[in-house]
Amino acid sequence: MIQDFIKHLFPRVVLERNLRLSYTFCLGGLAFAAILIMMVSGMLLLTYYQPTPERAYSSVLFLEASVWGGKYLRSLHRLTSHAVLILIMLHTLRVILTGAYQRPRQLNWVIGCILLFLAIFEAYTGYLLPYDQLAFWATQTGMELLSALPFGSFLRSLLVPDGVGQGLSLLRFYALHIAIIPLVVLLLSFLHFYRVRKNKGVLPYL
Amino acid sequence: MRYLTPLTPAKRKVLVATAAADVPLNGALVFQKERLAVIKDNTGFYALSLVCTHLGCTVTVSENSFSCPCHGSLFNRQGKVDRGPASEPLRRLKLVTDNGMIKVYDV
Repeated sequence: MIQDFIKHLFPRVVLERNLRLSYTFCLGGLAFAAILIMMVSGMLLLTYYQPTPERAYSSVLFLEASVWGGKYLRSLHRLTSHAVLILIMLHTLRVILTGAYQRPRQLNWVIGCILLFLAIFEAYTGYLLPYDQLAFWATQTGMELLSALPFGSFLRSLLVPDGVGQGLSLLRFYALHIAIIPLVVLLLSFLHFYRVRKNKGVLPYL
Repeated sequence: MRYLTPLTPAKRKVLVATAAADVPLNGALVFQKERLAVIKDNTGFYALSLVCTHLGCTVTVSENSFSCPCHGSLFNRQGKVDRGPASEPLRRLKLVTDNGMIKVYDV
């Protein structure tokens, strides 16, 4: 059954040389698989994490100390997040080196760039959530950096309406991290894959 | 957009109030939560904000300097920059001495 399923992932006729792994190294697919792991592990983390300044850090400590598999789960979420970023960057590099951003796939290149940006933003919002010293000061400095950009003060007031370390700011990072950004990432990913298939003439095995 | 930017309560004017006698000569009285230090030297009292002017971390107070744990900026006792990346001196806060009490105001 599994073999049948894998067979159906490919067209009925495909040139063997087009199936070679070095064509794309499956980097985009691996990145998406890693994102799926992030979603599953993240949903399990949701059942313990408490997004308030007083309880965030202690809820993470509780998860690590008193929950079966909690430490493993959190490590999985954290390490996979690194993997996602590395894979997306390598995927971008591969696209640049093979010139795959060129016509007719220019739209998909733009979508991919937005996805790369969103992945970094998703990682950054997740960075605050454990609410340890590293998280707190990384957000403090990050928000100062943001203020230096054009419209930076405005963006800052959207992200941290009551200052870094306060309740609303943590809640907004949390909302962005668990709902808003993942939804946009998923939608854009599907659009990304749809465009790959739509431009099938240039990617022979899809 | 207005929905996303709530009204913020007005900032507290007096940040700290303390007895002048509590500040050691050539030393500093540090208020960690308020992120400021009241300092006394031979010329008198002054108050420095402990928010690093580079990216806003809280500087560590030591005997002769203020150092930032985030990117290594170093300020002297007067709050002037000894070493970057910070380019501006630590912010001086308004300090009023009244009847043996010191009050520090946000400016």
